[in-house]
Amino acid sequence: MSSIRYAPAVILGRGVRLAARLRRAGGGSAVPGLVVNRVAPRFLGDVLSSFPEGLVVVSGSSGKSTTTKMLVEILEAHGKRIFTNPSTANISQGLTSALLERSSLTGRIDADLAVLEMDEGHGALLSGRFRAALVLLTNVMTDQIDRFHDAEKVQAMLGRIAARSTGSVVLNGDDALLGRLNPTAEVVRFGVTGEVLAQAPRGLGYAETSTARIDDGVLVTAVAGRDATIVVGGAALTVRLPARGIHYAVDAAGALAAAQRLLGTAFDAALATAALAAMEPVFGRGEIVRVQGQDVEFVLVQNPASFQLNVDELDERLDRVMVAMGSDVRDPSYFWPVDASRIGTAAIVSGSKADEIALQLVYQGVEVERIEPDLAVALDAFLALPTPAHGIKTIVFTADSMRRIRSHLGLS
Amino acid sequence: MTTVLALFPELTDVNGDAQNALVLAKRASWAGLEMTVERLHLGERPAAKPIVIVLGSTTDPALPYLLGALAGIRDTLQDWIAGGVPVLAVGTGVEALSRSVLLPDGRRDGLGLVPAEASPLPARAAGDLVVRAAEGELVGYENHSRGLRLDPGVQPLGAVRRGVGDGQGTDGVRHGSVLGTRLHGPVLAKNPALADAILAAAVGHPVVVTGGAAAAADAAAARIRTALLASG
Repeated sequence: MSSIRYAPAVILGRGVRLAARLRRAGGGSAVPGLVVNRVAPRFLGDVLSSFPEGLVVVSGSSGKSTTTKMLVEILEAHGKRIFTNPSTANISQGLTSALLERSSLTGRIDADLAVLEMDEGHGALLSGRFRAALVLLTNVMTDQIDRFHDAEKVQAMLGRIAARSTGSVVLNGDDALLGRLNPTAEVVRFGVTGEVLAQAPRGLGYAETSTARIDDGVLVTAVAGRDATIVVGGAALTVRLPARGIHYAVDAAGALAAAQRLLGTAFDAALATAALAAMEPVFGRGEIVRVQGQDVEFVLVQNPASFQLNVDELDERLDRVMVAMGSDVRDPSYFWPVDASRIGTAAIVSGSKADEIALQLVYQGVEVERIEPDLAVALDAFLALPTPAHGIKTIVFTADSMRRIRSHLGLS
Repeated sequence: MTTVLALFPELTDVNGDAQNALVLAKRASWAGLEMTVERLHLGERPAAKPIVIVLGSTTDPALPYLLGALAGIRDTLQDWIAGGVPVLAVGTGVEALSRSVLLPDGRRDGLGLVPAEASPLPARAAGDLVVRAAEGELVGYENHSRGLRLDPGVQPLGAVRRGVGDGQGTDGVRHGSVLGTRLHGPVLAKNPALADAILAAAVGHPVVVTGGAAAAADAAAARIRTALLASG
């Protein structure tokens, strides 16, 4: 429970935040959390447990941010006041800092419920400190090998998070590792039909895909570009996705399943689909941006699975593609199983790992016209290239390169 | 038709190790030779004798499956190795070829084709690895928790210049036609000299790659090597 005993810690945390900001504009977002977690170690757990309608935790290897955002939009459209975390603050210090931002001196936040994205590693570490009304698990993908080493470990972490749910566990029924979790809370599943799965020639990237499709829960029955049909409680909803791709339809299915569970009879399908349609296209995930008088499509690669899915969805005839891989990828080895040959010709390969990704592209038969590690130089050169003969200029990048490109272009 | 055989890529491509088969086939084509990649999947029998074999690393939970799959082709593999077919084995792939692997839940028998045993290192080894070998300075990444203890007289692949390798200052093994290393991922793309030495052993004569793609690939590999050697 929240209480007045947190007032000193909250004041201290805010003081630290102010000091951090005075020293460096925009700086120090995790430091206040660090300080408060030190002086009041139970602050985080207690605040997380203080929301009148409880806490929702979204975790999994991929799709957490999009799913969290979708669920928040749907719940807000239903009049709920939500506390949520920016996706960068998914560690305990960052989360505590974000909570400090919004909490009263007694450690209470004026919201009906919290919807938080948690990285599987930190979520599992924090799991002893919260109880959740609902836990939503997206998938287990074999990524971030340095940190988690293998899929079974990720599965175990997600199992620890799922065990904290007192209400429901909403999980991806096409993910075999999630399917083998056995939480005590009621399980609600979401997934795709066999036809939708067949549209993804290499599957959806899960470490292990279930052999059978689900026959209950929330089901994606069709995906075409940014339009999807999702069956919720027997009604087929037409959903406009924030970017094209089956994985966004799966994220929407998860968000709809969780929203329906949380809202019960108050769930309004029309409100939910309107909320999803009103979402801003997700930056860097198939978004088309107007830059210097030309359209450029941004494609974000977060892990091997999303690299493969995104490359498979590229128009094969594209003739102006830039590929950028940054220092966020410590060891690009694990991208090599991705078949990137569909890119065909890469006009420029850039980022601090340019040579590493260029090696992969060349061996996979992609013609690499230029390697320019300096992202700013590469970007300017790419934008200066003539208009493509087919399609629009397309930049495939990792998160670090995305941030640098965004900042270079002055995009917010 | 000559083939490079990737063994059980569904288990051994975690870090892209199995893609070294593609690297060999591509370099062969750049050298004017014809070579196709064959992937031996779980439950399958090899169709024909390859001229070179790639065995990548798998994760610890999957290692028993890899050991089981390899046991099913042990005699064939032994014949091929005895016949001089070059094998590139990476990480737990080399461990599987050794006599035994000490896992947290006990010792498991390997294939016994490499006179060595794998046992835990004092700490997990993850990061850059540079190995001084007969083929030059080999560069790449390592991420593993065990080292190979070679029997007396068995040669390592080379001396560790940076990183951990198998501990005790050496990395990998050279035994007959088997080359083992902790350098994971596209080790042959990053180390074209090693790739071409393996190819030469496979085809029985030196290979020389030519053309724009080969030049682009080897220039990128050279820059990665130069940057890494300069940084440490």
